[in-house]
Amino acid sequence: MISSPLDGGAPDVAETTFRRRRRPLWRRKLFPYLLVAPAVIYLLGITLYPGIYAIYQSFFYVRFDDWTFAGLGNYRELFADRDFWQAMWNTLVIGGCALVIEFVLALGLAVLAYRDPFIRGWRILFLVPMLFMPSAVSFIWKLAFNDARVISDLLMGIGLIDGPIDFLGNVAMARLSLIVTDVWQWTPFLFIIFVAALQGQDPEIEEAARLDGASWARLFWNVSLPIMKPIIAVALILRAIDITTMFTSVFIMTGGTPGGATETISYFIYRIGFKTFNFGYASAASFVMLVLTILVAQLFVKKFFISGREE
Amino acid sequence: MNDGSDRHDEPAGPARVFSLDEVETRPRRRSKGAVLRTVVLATWAVFCIAPVLWFLSIGLRPRTEIITPQPIYWPTFSLDAWHMIWNDWPMAAYLRNSVLAIIGSVVIDLVLAIPAAYSLSRYTYRGRDDIGFYILSTRMMAPAIVAVPIFFLFRNMGLLDSIWALMLVYAAINLSLVTWIIRSYMLDLPREIEDAARTDGASDLAILMLIIVPMCLPGIITAAVIAAIFAINEFLFTLLIASTQGAYTLSVALANFTGGSDGIIYNAIALVAFIAFVPVFIVVVLMQKHLSRGLTMGAVKG
Repeated sequence: MISSPLDGGAPDVAETTFRRRRRPLWRRKLFPYLLVAPAVIYLLGITLYPGIYAIYQSFFYVRFDDWTFAGLGNYRELFADRDFWQAMWNTLVIGGCALVIEFVLALGLAVLAYRDPFIRGWRILFLVPMLFMPSAVSFIWKLAFNDARVISDLLMGIGLIDGPIDFLGNVAMARLSLIVTDVWQWTPFLFIIFVAALQGQDPEIEEAARLDGASWARLFWNVSLPIMKPIIAVALILRAIDITTMFTSVFIMTGGTPGGATETISYFIYRIGFKTFNFGYASAASFVMLVLTILVAQLFVKKFFISGREE
Repeated sequence: MNDGSDRHDEPAGPARVFSLDEVETRPRRRSKGAVLRTVVLATWAVFCIAPVLWFLSIGLRPRTEIITPQPIYWPTFSLDAWHMIWNDWPMAAYLRNSVLAIIGSVVIDLVLAIPAAYSLSRYTYRGRDDIGFYILSTRMMAPAIVAVPIFFLFRNMGLLDSIWALMLVYAAINLSLVTWIIRSYMLDLPREIEDAARTDGASDLAILMLIIVPMCLPGIITAAVIAAIFAINEFLFTLLIASTQGAYTLSVALANFTGGSDGIIYNAIALVAFIAFVPVFIVVVLMQKHLSRGLTMGAVKG
């Protein structure tokens, strides 16, 4: 075969195509779209369709198969609904606390562990909580906090408290039990990502900084942390997404009690939709959350996932 | 060999260059820091593992010793729960539903994601980044947001309480993840081999199937494993879709070992939790190297 004049310079797709049997231009132009189309259509089916359906349904009072036009009634009711705002607030408080604790713990542990000779062993041990089903983890902690009172017993054993704590009856304690559950299960998620990021940095830069007499704290602050920033951002975004959609542990552990103090926004939508069967109202709440999600996605996620990682 | 070192100083990790003069210059700080570090890490390890061992002991004790006025830490050994889940509960059906729904969803994901990832990583065209971002953004949608419409969608299709619905939903949940992981691995592949094949007249599809797919197999396996784990964990949609043992998965079946006059049957729950945990644990240990990259959808090259 005669070698192409372009062979030397890493030719791109468009340039090489002229070497082979020519296909019509429109087919070549269309090909990448055809490859990506099935996935996009599938996702549109499962996001756009429900989105439109939710908008439509949110303008009706729905009782089973009985739809009555409501105009903006559901939305007016929703924005005046204290349960809705409380669910938003609960999600922020519980999710925010859990996220901060997980981040601090995971980063601290990762910095301690990434040079450890037994890092592989630590990593496997630390991973274990993450590998249980969330529903199972919720039962572990439901049992430990409430039903078997093991936590109270242990705290009494070391003399921190005098009598058993009612973890379900107290707003702060009920929220705390959800936070502990989330921290226990998901700190490993951030941990292994941070360890990978720390191990991935160039050892020579660290070496050089250290030979210049930098302390490990300075080294971490001035060398490791800036390199890790984008990865930290990505990891935190992913974790934040999952925390704000917290449902399973609420469903199994608290059911929103006491007095709705642990009802997250996901649980709120579930309760309105599938316990009171007020589907139109649940759809209105869904649509509000959808708008919020899109806003957040545009603001944060686009920046960190797309920019700076293209070839 | 390196266990005298700590973070203050230097190279200790298995994959690190080990330089001798460090050991010689700062021996004392090294060992003190190492002890402290090990204590901290061990404390966290205990926090991670102790609840798991305790839960295992819950699974292996009789019901009478679970919820007691005073917690029992050294229970009598009993396989009651084991017999119960296999004899009294349709465990085989739960397992079958889980396995089928997961395998089905992963297959759907791979069929859709591999071409999509190839398109996103290898071609330049109008709207490519927007399409990529759209796929990514579906990962951020709270399941509860689409729960009501999805419920109606499957009800209208007559797919409620069927593992087909579970497959479709799990596939949708994981598609963004799978696409982005595979895309990240494809971006790493050198283009020379493809270009050579292309000059030899291979079609784009042949290049994808015969060259690209085998070369990014680690990425595809990583994506498949992570998708499978998320599918095992899925709770909300399964709760809405499944209503009998025709579609209950392990994850949601747990919530069924409750209610009735018996209260929550914790020892059975514990054993089911471990039945789901063991295979996941084995697979994850085997693919440890790829895990962080997979979990960040390719953002970390671990």
